[in-house]
Amino acid sequence: MEKSNIAKGKERKEVFTTSSGIPIKRIYTPEDVADLDYNRDLGPSGEDPYTRGIYPTMYRGKLWTIRQFGGLNAAEATNDRYKLMYQMGVTGFAIAIDDASLIGFDPDSPEAEGEVGVGGVSVFSLKDMEDMFDGLPIDKISTAVIQAINTTCPHTAMYLALAENRGIDLRDVDGTTEGDPCSFGGCSDLKANPAPVRQLMRLCGDLVEWCAINAPKWHPVSFTSYNYREAGVNAYQEIGGLVASAVDLIEEVLSRDRGLTVDDFVPHYTFHLASHNDFFEEIAKMRAARRMWCKIMTERYDAKDPRTKMLRFHVQTSGSTLTYQQPINNAIRVAYQSLAAALGGVQSLHACSYDEALCIPTEEAVTLSIRTQQILQNESNVTNTIDPLAGSYYVESLTNEVEKRAMDFFHQIEDHGGWTKALELGWLRQQTEKEAIKYEEEIRTGKRRIVGVNCFQMEEDPSKITYFRPDPEIYKKQKARAEKLKEERDNDKVEETLNELRDADDSGENVMPAMMKAVKAYATLEEMTDVTVRRHFASGTKSIFSHLSRMIE
Amino acid sequence: MGKIRVLMAKPGYDSHFRGAVVVATTLRNAGMEVIYLGGQQPSEVANTALQEDVDVIGISTLSSTYMEYLTELTSLLKNKGIAEKLLVVGGVVIPDDVPKLKEMGVDGYFPPGSDLVSIVDYIRNGVK
Repeated sequence: MEKSNIAKGKERKEVFTTSSGIPIKRIYTPEDVADLDYNRDLGPSGEDPYTRGIYPTMYRGKLWTIRQFGGLNAAEATNDRYKLMYQMGVTGFAIAIDDASLIGFDPDSPEAEGEVGVGGVSVFSLKDMEDMFDGLPIDKISTAVIQAINTTCPHTAMYLALAENRGIDLRDVDGTTEGDPCSFGGCSDLKANPAPVRQLMRLCGDLVEWCAINAPKWHPVSFTSYNYREAGVNAYQEIGGLVASAVDLIEEVLSRDRGLTVDDFVPHYTFHLASHNDFFEEIAKMRAARRMWCKIMTERYDAKDPRTKMLRFHVQTSGSTLTYQQPINNAIRVAYQSLAAALGGVQSLHACSYDEALCIPTEEAVTLSIRTQQILQNESNVTNTIDPLAGSYYVESLTNEVEKRAMDFFHQIEDHGGWTKALELGWLRQQTEKEAIKYEEEIRTGKRRIVGVNCFQMEEDPSKITYFRPDPEIYKKQKARAEKLKEERDNDKVEETLNELRDADDSGENVMPAMMKAVKAYATLEEMTDVTVRRHFASGTKSIFSHLSRMIE
Repeated sequence: MGKIRVLMAKPGYDSHFRGAVVVATTLRNAGMEVIYLGGQQPSEVANTALQEDVDVIGISTLSSTYMEYLTELTSLLKNKGIAEKLLVVGGVVIPDDVPKLKEMGVDGYFPPGSDLVSIVDYIRNGVK
């Protein structure tokens, strides 16, 4: 069959496209990049428009950070896991926090039942943060605090308070808060979460503002397109959305008119992208995102500080591409996606584990993820030179096309009134669902081939993997831990600091100074989010589940 | 017979909605009436199933707590006298646990990567 195709000059398919549906030609030639102007469109790395990378030396100066996302059961178990990972050579941590804490409930709350230790580690007070990082050198290694919208300020304050209590100057603490309200709103199913998005934007803005002055090495927000990419949107929508959400938070901070310019706070912004299956499209996406960001910061905001124009980013390989079937194959997917991130100029990388389509990664699976990155950094020599694919007719042409489509999507969001408004309108969720359904339809019809799922299936997988099981006693243990904490701490002090927090929240002042005090007094997550989030629920109820039901239309 | 009525939900606070929404939309396109609840606790699912008199309850799980969640849900459905409703689970269940689902009263299980048409067929055949 294929032989005769060769003889006849026929191709296997009528149309070849990228994963996002961009049509791809048989071969690319100088004509496809005839308009490319090296200085205007590419330039050397470390220079405007940063297409080739944000630093002049890139991996010749410093390798990307091996930052594995992890968290399981309670603080002690996570501390063991982190120590193991540190011993194996990770150069950054990222805390995976459990569902109860992400929403802002303590383990002794009825709302937390069945949610403690689910999907991450239970972290509800400074005590958990202390135990989780016990014996780990947080002055030498950076940490990403990956929480959700409700807990952006308190979870960050816990980590920063831990650093201060250890005698580390806040000005030297290195790390990132993920807490992008835009992303969570876009990917969460807590559609009717009555906490107004605007209050969550305000809290995120408070952290940005406070860090710019007090913790200048801390990245107070990481715009996370990863989440909505995983939920459904395609590659160019991912970066169009990324830029739109970051612009929305710029507007939030500028609208306060407290004397900050973009060059005061945007240099601390960071970004978190996905690396999906389409190898070249992902590389093109990362290059296009850098160029697009630089253009917008220059043209729209007249940014002067080069760091304002640099899109620094973390990549997580795409969990949704991992298959339940033949899970060992996932290790290969992760390796290709990691290579794409390296060629795309990433600053830090989480390589998923092969068992992530089934459970929280086992130690064995996490070890392989770390080794995958180390093999890439130490053996493949892809780190020898910067942006090695620049100048490729295909890669440059695809970078242009991805950027053009991303810019279109960005403008569509702006036409809906910006990210927050488009989110409130439900438009973003609609786009996400539409793409997710299209993707699934392509798998069903065989247009999109997934090994082990719709081709090359096996009745029985010969490779056996072991599964991680969460501690079944976790809820009971953490509940007791919460009760003990509330008995032993100075409750007068807690009350005093919570009152101060309430006053700051009411007056529109920055909540972070009061939040730091409350955290140090061992106020809990729920107590603090009661003040900064749940008081703002329209319905006055504590439940986040009101009015969620809807007919699928 | 009227349209088949389906209630679709996910356990608790977990936010991985992609599978649930894709399946819900597929069932709608196949002519069924779908009520999408998003993340809910078992009691809400059981109450809504009773009030809405649905034929099918679909639970999409990507959360490690599926055993506890489904144990509670199936017992609530029994208490309310609606255990005969078709209970279908989709998403991540560790292979060793799949036989236990049937024992607990789950009628059908569809792992990630299942053919969407097979889910539609299963429901049509299951609802008499």
